[in-house]
Amino acid sequence: MKKLVERITNGIIVENPTFVQVIGMCPTLAVTTGAKNGIGMGLATTAVLVGSNLFISLLRKFIPSKIRIPAYVVIIASLVTLVEFILQAFVRSLYSQLGLFIPLIVVNCIILARAEAYASKNKLLPSIADGLGMGLGFTLALAILGSVREILGAGKIFDFPIMPSSYQPAVIMILAPGAFFTLGILMATLNHFRNKKVKDA
Amino acid sequence: MKEIMKLGLILFAITAFSAMLLGFAHEITKEPIENQVRLAREKAMNETLSQADRFEEVMVELPKGSKISEINAGYKGDLLEGFVVKVSPKGFGGPIEIMVGVSKDGIVQGIKMLKHSETPGLGANAEDDSFTSQYKDTSGELTVTKTIPNKDNEIQALTGATITSRAITDGVNEVLIFLQHHGGTDEEITFDFN
Repeated sequence: MKKLVERITNGIIVENPTFVQVIGMCPTLAVTTGAKNGIGMGLATTAVLVGSNLFISLLRKFIPSKIRIPAYVVIIASLVTLVEFILQAFVRSLYSQLGLFIPLIVVNCIILARAEAYASKNKLLPSIADGLGMGLGFTLALAILGSVREILGAGKIFDFPIMPSSYQPAVIMILAPGAFFTLGILMATLNHFRNKKVKDA
Repeated sequence: MKEIMKLGLILFAITAFSAMLLGFAHEITKEPIENQVRLAREKAMNETLSQADRFEEVMVELPKGSKISEINAGYKGDLLEGFVVKVSPKGFGGPIEIMVGVSKDGIVQGIKMLKHSETPGLGANAEDDSFTSQYKDTSGELTVTKTIPNKDNEIQALTGATITSRAITDGVNEVLIFLQHHGGTDEEITFDFN
């Protein structure tokens, strides 16, 4: 039990895929124009990540190492297609917002990285917890990025206006450069605190 | 040789199983997906031509190069109320799919953007009611202005998105001209291209 909790906090904080490992940057930069999109993309990725870790951990003794990469890609691509079907059928509004980025989950390196680095070497339950932790860490990062960009760039959060009407939205924040600004500043801030902690200790 | 066979078979087993699973999933989600697509279309039609309660697609051969892709006649009971036309003018980031509802006497009742790839924060704001509501109750040839409009058929461009505003206006104009020339404004729908 302790190990499972450890895996989850590891994914969310210690080895946060976006802020610490800096992987999966394409969807991170592209879909975070709003908080809702960020969370939607994060949760879709989490679903795929938990599923792929589950199957890859189950099949870890069955898949020979020589063909592991094609085998992982097939499993991940199938899961992504499954998620796409489900979103399309039941959560249409989210599907039309994320559209193009759902197939891109296949090539999100977080998923292949966790398959290769963790699920292929570990037992079922810790692998699921690892997928969940990494997925939630990714969701959290995307939600923060999306919120910051939405507040500054559109004066709204989750589509609700929160800024006074005199606030002139900085449109650049929801365009591509805004993604880099926000990510850079957030990462610098986090690293600053991390370094300080190391120094203090 | 033996190893290659073994590897091939394992990979085959994985792909075959995945394909089977996806086949099942496709079967199960096929109907809900079709329903969703239909609902979204019907909702867009109801919003753009609210006085009609029943829509029927009008099968008609469109002139070459036309941006119009679909024409629906809207009825209330048996009476023709107007048309909902799908048009895809070229915007800043690619085609913009719009539904345009026009009453049978040629007055725009409402427009709705279905699909677009305009810049978020600029062109994408064209989805907002504050922009699309400008088209309501307009007719004739619409023009885009960057200042506050003082004529009925003038549309105020979105800040920083003149191309998008022009594209949408062009699309609406194309629909209006098409219906004027070819559409039946009478009870009888006649599409005559000569």
